[in-house]
Amino acid sequence: MSNKAATWIVRAVVVLFSLLVLMPFYIMIIMGTHLSEDLLTSLQLAPGGYLAINLANVLKTNFFLFYKNSLYTSIIATVGCVIVSGMAGFAFAKYRFGGKRLLFGTVLATLMIPMQLGLVGLMMQLKAMGLMNTHFALIVPPMANAFTVFWMTQYIKSAVPTEILESARMDGCGDFVVFWRIVFPICRPANITVFLLSFLSSWNNYLTPLVVLNKEELYTIPMGATLFSTTYRNDYGAQTLALTLATLPVIILFAFGSKYLIQGLAGGGVKE
Amino acid sequence: MGRNRTKAYPYLFIAPFFLIFIGFSLFPMLYTFYISFMKWDGINDMTFVGFTNYVRLFTSDPMFYQSIWNTLLVIVIAIPLQLLFGLVLAVLLKDFFNRGRGLFQFLNYTPNITTPVAVGIVFALLFDSRVGAVNQVLTSLGIISENINWLSEPGTARAVTIILLVWKYFGYMMVMFLAGLSAIPESLYEAAKIDGAGYFQTFIRITVPMLKNTFVFLTTTSIISGLQLFTEPKLLFHPDESPGRSVMTALIYMYDTAFKRFDFGYGAAISYGLFVLILLLSLGRIRRISEED
Repeated sequence: MSNKAATWIVRAVVVLFSLLVLMPFYIMIIMGTHLSEDLLTSLQLAPGGYLAINLANVLKTNFFLFYKNSLYTSIIATVGCVIVSGMAGFAFAKYRFGGKRLLFGTVLATLMIPMQLGLVGLMMQLKAMGLMNTHFALIVPPMANAFTVFWMTQYIKSAVPTEILESARMDGCGDFVVFWRIVFPICRPANITVFLLSFLSSWNNYLTPLVVLNKEELYTIPMGATLFSTTYRNDYGAQTLALTLATLPVIILFAFGSKYLIQGLAGGGVKE
Repeated sequence: MGRNRTKAYPYLFIAPFFLIFIGFSLFPMLYTFYISFMKWDGINDMTFVGFTNYVRLFTSDPMFYQSIWNTLLVIVIAIPLQLLFGLVLAVLLKDFFNRGRGLFQFLNYTPNITTPVAVGIVFALLFDSRVGAVNQVLTSLGIISENINWLSEPGTARAVTIILLVWKYFGYMMVMFLAGLSAIPESLYEAAKIDGAGYFQTFIRITVPMLKNTFVFLTTTSIISGLQLFTEPKLLFHPDESPGRSVMTALIYMYDTAFKRFDFGYGAAISYGLFVLILLLSLGRIRRISEED
């Protein structure tokens, strides 16, 4: 067997394998275009003609509202996370201050602590503060993300030349102006990474809203999709269409920003 | 005056992170610890019960051990498979796909970013005994004559969970291995070629040993995050429970105890029981990172 033939066989195997990996997505999308009755009788592999009917069923529910809730909580949490992480990263990368080692050590240590374990306490705390059944817990706590602080610190250390900062200060720029006008723009690639990581975890978060929200009008997409799969238990077409719509934003976002996201992930491993 | 102001800046810059972190992560964690010494149903007054919850947890609660066992059983099988698929795919993409590598990296990584709730529900539908694509394919190929109830037998329920986990995480491993591969000097491979080593031999002798750090990192982080498995197994059987509680993970047990049976004190103790386990497993990692700084 020639080398060339072997190369093409390997490529074909990788392509087939990747297609197999995509099958759950494909079946999910196709199921959303069929009537439940047809899905019960046989496996459908070609798109059906009932997309509009299923869509109408999905839109009859609060699905749009769930979408809106997910979008606005995720976006505010994510923008907050980008700014909070950038500022903390700037301080850790470019300043010398008392307690810096200890504080940065704390950030690293919290990378290892699973925050879900504080869920019982978080619920009590929110109850006492009157913040149960609000989006507060979905917006504010995710802004403090130890991994993205670590990531910004490393990035600013290597990408922002200290001389630029010094000459800006000579020109009379205050520290906040230096951060906002100089550091933040230079960090654009890292900011995109942080944005994607934070958005993903906000959009996909299920456990926090499950504990904190019990009013349907406050539900985010993961909660809404769960509700959907219970109330429309036998309407497989509408159910899968709702799931397709739920995953669409993250896949679109990832399609555009996969380079940045993968850099962020790989950066976390390189540290080892 | 001016000097003092400059000194305050770094603290101002880190303040938002630490204020939010202390207020809404650290405080709830400590408060949960406090609650773990209480008996509380969420309505009546809290009563201090000392170590009662922990004694019950570690000495007379088979459910807690079962939940840990369930979790470990699933991840101990899933993680090696994820590593294997991730590694092989990474190596093949690096060696055979100069063009299109990005595309296939993207395609195989997509399961990892997909909303976990959707993943759980879609897999429940794929393995559904009546409408599930898996049974339909197996039937049309003549492999089975009767529909299999995948999700209602403990053994097959676990198998489906493992398939789901491998599907979801091998792409992440692939990305990490590709990053690791790019750090291996090309000269090593050239030297091996001159010595007459074959493709498979260089893979075993050079690639695998050079990726040791990636293996260690992926294995430890996967075990730690695997112990916190919740959403996918929860939704796979939604709204019911897994058959015979075969896929009731530690976090599902914690959630059910605290938020469904309103036994908050005991739920908090389960949290900390799991926390101790995770901490023990993380110690190696913490040491490694702090050595570097």
